[in-house]
Amino acid sequence: MKLNLTVQPRFRLNFRPLVWVLLALMGIAFVIAMIRFANGIGPVTNLSNAYPWGFWISFDLFTGVAIGSGAFVMAAIVYIFELKEFQPLLRPSVLTGFLGYIMVVVALLVDLGHPERIWYMMIHTNHTSVLLEIGICVMSYLTVLAIEFAPVIFEGLKWEKWAHLLHKLIMPFVILGVVLSTLHQSSLGSLLLIEPTKLFPLWWTPILPIEFFISAISIGMGMIILESSLSSLYFKRGLELHLLEKLGRAVPVALGIYLLVKFVEIFIAGDAHFLFTSGLMSLLFWTEILVGVIIPMALFSSKRIRQSANGILISAIILLVGMILNRFNVSWFAVQHADPITYLPTFMGNNIHYWPSLSEVLVSVGIFSAGILVFGMAAKYLPLFDNEHPQHAAGD
Amino acid sequence: MTEIKHHAYLFDATRCIDCRACMVACSVENNIAMDKTRIWVAGIGIKGEYPNLERGSMVYHCMHCEHPDCMSACPVGAYTKAEDGPVIYNPEVCIGCRYCMNACPFGVPHFDYDKGIIDGAFIDKCTFCPQRIYNGQEPACVQTCPTDALEYGERDELIVKARARIAAHPDRYIDHIYGEFENGGTSYLILSHIPFNELGLPDLPAEPISEVSEKVMEMTIPFALSWGAVLSGVAAGVHLYNKNKEEKTAAEENTEATK
Amino acid sequence: MTQTISRRDFLKLGATSAGVLALGQMLPPKVAQAARDAGHLNAAGDGYITSMCEMCVWRCGLVAKIQDGRVVKLDGNPEHPHSRGKLCPRGQSGLMNTYDPDRVLTPLIRVGKRGEGLFRKASWDEALDMVAVNMLKIKEQYGPEAMIFSSTHNLSQVQFENLLYAFGSPNYGTQRSLCFNAMITAFLLTYGVEEPSRNYDNVEFILMVGRNMMEAISTSETGELARAIDRGAKLVYLDPRYTKTASKADEWIPIRPGTDAAFLLAMINVIVMNELADCDFVKQYVIGCDGIRDEMSRYTPEWAEKITGVPAADIDRIAREYAAAEHNALAHPGWRTSNFINSFQTERAIATLNALSGNVLTPGGCLSTEVAAEGAGLGAPSQPPYPRVSALRLDGAPWKYPLVPLKLGVFQELRNAVLTGDPYQAHGWFISRQNPIQSLPDRSKTLEAFGKMDFIATVDIIMNDTAWYSDVVLPEASYLERYDPLLPVGNKAFIRQPVVEPQGEAKSALWIYKQLGERLGLGDFFQYEDEEDYIRQQLEPLGVSLEEVKEKGYAEMPESEHDGEITFNTPSGKIEVYSETLKNAGFSPWPTWEEPPFPTADEFYLLTGKVAQHTQFGTQNNQLLHKYSDEPRLWMNAKIAAKLGIEDGDWVEITSPVGKAHSLLLATEAIRPDCVYLTPGYGHISKGLKTAFGVGASDSALHVTYTDPISGGQALSQTFVTVKKA
Repeated sequence: MKLNLTVQPRFRLNFRPLVWVLLALMGIAFVIAMIRFANGIGPVTNLSNAYPWGFWISFDLFTGVAIGSGAFVMAAIVYIFELKEFQPLLRPSVLTGFLGYIMVVVALLVDLGHPERIWYMMIHTNHTSVLLEIGICVMSYLTVLAIEFAPVIFEGLKWEKWAHLLHKLIMPFVILGVVLSTLHQSSLGSLLLIEPTKLFPLWWTPILPIEFFISAISIGMGMIILESSLSSLYFKRGLELHLLEKLGRAVPVALGIYLLVKFVEIFIAGDAHFLFTSGLMSLLFWTEILVGVIIPMALFSSKRIRQSANGILISAIILLVGMILNRFNVSWFAVQHADPITYLPTFMGNNIHYWPSLSEVLVSVGIFSAGILVFGMAAKYLPLFDNEHPQHAAGD
Repeated sequence: MTEIKHHAYLFDATRCIDCRACMVACSVENNIAMDKTRIWVAGIGIKGEYPNLERGSMVYHCMHCEHPDCMSACPVGAYTKAEDGPVIYNPEVCIGCRYCMNACPFGVPHFDYDKGIIDGAFIDKCTFCPQRIYNGQEPACVQTCPTDALEYGERDELIVKARARIAAHPDRYIDHIYGEFENGGTSYLILSHIPFNELGLPDLPAEPISEVSEKVMEMTIPFALSWGAVLSGVAAGVHLYNKNKEEKTAAEENTEATK
Repeated sequence: MTQTISRRDFLKLGATSAGVLALGQMLPPKVAQAARDAGHLNAAGDGYITSMCEMCVWRCGLVAKIQDGRVVKLDGNPEHPHSRGKLCPRGQSGLMNTYDPDRVLTPLIRVGKRGEGLFRKASWDEALDMVAVNMLKIKEQYGPEAMIFSSTHNLSQVQFENLLYAFGSPNYGTQRSLCFNAMITAFLLTYGVEEPSRNYDNVEFILMVGRNMMEAISTSETGELARAIDRGAKLVYLDPRYTKTASKADEWIPIRPGTDAAFLLAMINVIVMNELADCDFVKQYVIGCDGIRDEMSRYTPEWAEKITGVPAADIDRIAREYAAAEHNALAHPGWRTSNFINSFQTERAIATLNALSGNVLTPGGCLSTEVAAEGAGLGAPSQPPYPRVSALRLDGAPWKYPLVPLKLGVFQELRNAVLTGDPYQAHGWFISRQNPIQSLPDRSKTLEAFGKMDFIATVDIIMNDTAWYSDVVLPEASYLERYDPLLPVGNKAFIRQPVVEPQGEAKSALWIYKQLGERLGLGDFFQYEDEEDYIRQQLEPLGVSLEEVKEKGYAEMPESEHDGEITFNTPSGKIEVYSETLKNAGFSPWPTWEEPPFPTADEFYLLTGKVAQHTQFGTQNNQLLHKYSDEPRLWMNAKIAAKLGIEDGDWVEITSPVGKAHSLLLATEAIRPDCVYLTPGYGHISKGLKTAFGVGASDSALHVTYTDPISGGQALSQTFVTVKKA
């Protein structure tokens, strides 16, 4: 089958309305980011000494990294377990991952006090720091993803020789990619290990990294389903529902293991009494468990739902919402920094309550919009969804 | 005067009158901007019901922990623990990630939220007045305290002093020196007449809270290598199995074809 | 007289100026060449210079660290008995006082209306000439008595008084009657000394009536009290408010305001009726030991319980504990004792309690009358005799208030006399280092009095409220920038010397008074060339050079001779619990109970009291202190607030018989239900105080003026107010 590809896209000015909206959001975020660079983080956010991390970290870092987990799940399925039938899902998920991680880095450039020093993490290293590990892993993984995605670009540019070469060498990078992903997906949980007095006992545990990794797998599967479904809807192409249905069978397994690990840990640690007596914390916990674990487990267990395009999409969305709530809980909602005790001088403003400002949210929305826009452009101008290329098979 | 081997503070909440001379002294000594502070008052203030009242407040700054969580958490190693006690922050390598602010259980590091990238946004915290303690003076806060609520000296000696004080007035003090063992020990030791969490101090075990995080980090590379090996093994195994199956199928087809 | 105004000179202090300069942005003043010459500072202008604080009247010795000709840190001088190496928060903030962006650095002459804050810069010559011309005009037209001189006690006071006496006016306004007239008069009459000294080395039992020592910090004494408590001394503390001192006391007695004397008289009753004092020993030194039982018999603890609200059993027990400590018991004389008209009797009772314990009779005891007379042992410039003053003092001392020492005066009556014009009208007011607009009770009356002046001149370092209302403002150099006469403390005479060059054109008071004196034709009375010459003359009897004193920070004074005899500077030579002097003046010779007024059911006592971060009305503009101060509030008992439907943080309106004020409410457990307390010192009306203006409310706008006929003291807590949600 011949590739139907326009290598030199002709730029048209009548973009679809969505594109204009995305561009506008990106523009707003850019302006706010400039203000942030000129005047500091304070004027554009509600962050304070009591809440040094807020929406940006919860959404752009924690959720952003979680969203990118589809890539390593897909890479493992296709390359390590050689389930080649899932090939069509690979490239979009790799791109999603790639863009997700780029978004993380862009967001960090806005959030860091000294973005121009982001590369210091490579030359000034404190090996006890979880954040260092995440930093190095994310930067390395970006490279791996770039390599995994390069073939698509090469094909688009008709550099067949390079594409072919890269395919031969892909395996070590896949292994590296899965290892790196395991490390940093779990390390996001490890970030909270040093805050046992601040993260509520229903979430804090020494095995947070393990819990994060297991949930990352299910998030990855959810993301693959979501991204495939949305692409098919938007770009009006066929949905590989049979592949998604098969993928969906693994979801209850992953969620089940996660649920077991989580509750066994809570009971062993003696924190069970917090489950129903902790007011808002209990509410957040049970919402996260119900929406992110129990309901998706039930939904994905139903063959009828898995075989329905709408059904599987909605189930994936529910799963993702619940899991994103988990990320928000662990990084923000269930974290209490300042003790509600009088602090003087009063200008210290130890606000016990933090809520992001509008400009703060708009920055994240803008970055997210950029990701969607780039994904859309890639879908349009690159062989993203081409699924019959014989050179994709690994290990030849 | 003998060299102090481990600089430390002793704060006695029963002596503190919340006059804040220490705070003004610190601001002046270290030329702190008007809207920032390295030392603050925390505590429940007045508790009880009229006329049975009690008062509890504490001034505190960096605890100069023995196992600083800020040091453990900082990705670029901007914090170091000097051999003689003070925890030192180095703005030269700081990337402004603010992880240290999360890590510190006492909420000590404060950040320049109002500085952009040209002026440079940095962390600010108590430095233990090195310009004073290495010149035979006491830290600014200690020296000026009118009631000697703040004292300074050799950590071991201060602990002995604190124990003696508790022993001399057992009805006055809670029988505990906060900071002797908390979080592995701190260099800002506290005596109090009211429960320490009413002074704003968190309950901390004697094991440094950075231990769990550091143990997990230690496992990183061994784990990565092992996991890589496992994955490679699985990939190789699956590949061989599939190749085998392919050859078998191809062979069967061949035999079929030749029949 | 009109002045032409050059546009260049026009200085609009009321307008908003370009932001507040942070500490590090002040232009560095020139290095004090003398300090360099004396070796205090190295060639780079770095070093340490000793001087004395002036953020309050305790005057701790300090050591100033100088870098590049700027003060960068103040530390207490370990050799000064008032600091012992420490400084309170105000002392630590002192350099912000010098570097306050709102400093007045040139003489100013008013161009707008009084209170508009429109001034123009002028030269010293022009300003001083103007002051002298106006003062002489008033002297010529109305007599020297028409000129009021008022100043709050400070180290250059002797030369201020010199100006006053040489000018020939009797009208001397000091802040004392707003502060400690009751205490001084009572102890003068009882012990013959203004203020006995306190020694906490061996004290076992301390009774404090008010005297919030942990917030009204006198650095060394606060430290000594803290150490005594630490050691195990028992502190019983009477105060309607749970202050920080209350939190350190073994017993906090939330006594009904105005009834302290009843409590103390009942204590005396318990002691004398049960013969707990060794009266035979005490008798040698005390007049009144005979009749005291009869006199005190009516003041039983049961009687006191009804008045004070304190259980009789407690009063009885405390009296016995006090007596049991014998001469190691201390009934603290207090300081600001201007609470109620009966505060004088409260002080008399305190003096009596001390006499009964024998502490003041014990050498080195916790109370002592061994107080060095001010300036004794030091030299002074010679003085021609002062002109005779025939006019009466406007404040009524001594013709209306026979027992008020002239040095103290009755300041609020002076202000009242300006309004009434009785016995004659004053026309001019010269103020130095004082803020009567904020300090005198009933601020609207003070403003009215200012309105009656033909001429007002103020010496101040900053555009304080009184300066704001003046015709001429003369900039004094801040305490870190000037010399003042030596101050003896114990057996050392301490120096205040400039640690940095004065900023702008600010000058010391010694210089200003001499310059003014010369222009008034009184140059003969100012027999010193300059500040250094003045101090050299002071040092002459000691045979010590000025350079030595500047180097060391003090000069040793010869030990005063003690013959071991304990005498009292009273008419009888003994402690006069029974005072013939009082009797002759028509007052009770014994400490006695005078019933204070009580508020009605919906009124509150309006209390005042110190905060550790501020000194009266003078420091609210200091940015360092402002940074660490609690915001000013009206304290009210939480349950009462709830009943009135007011919540913590609400705006409330406070109404007194003479004024209204608005404040944020603090609903707290730490105050009696029948009292409210307003954070003092705020509510400045000078727009020249950019940090302080608009912050908080002024209690002097609410205070009713009262005068105790015996001591002349004010009664600041006798004002009753109503409070409602604003």
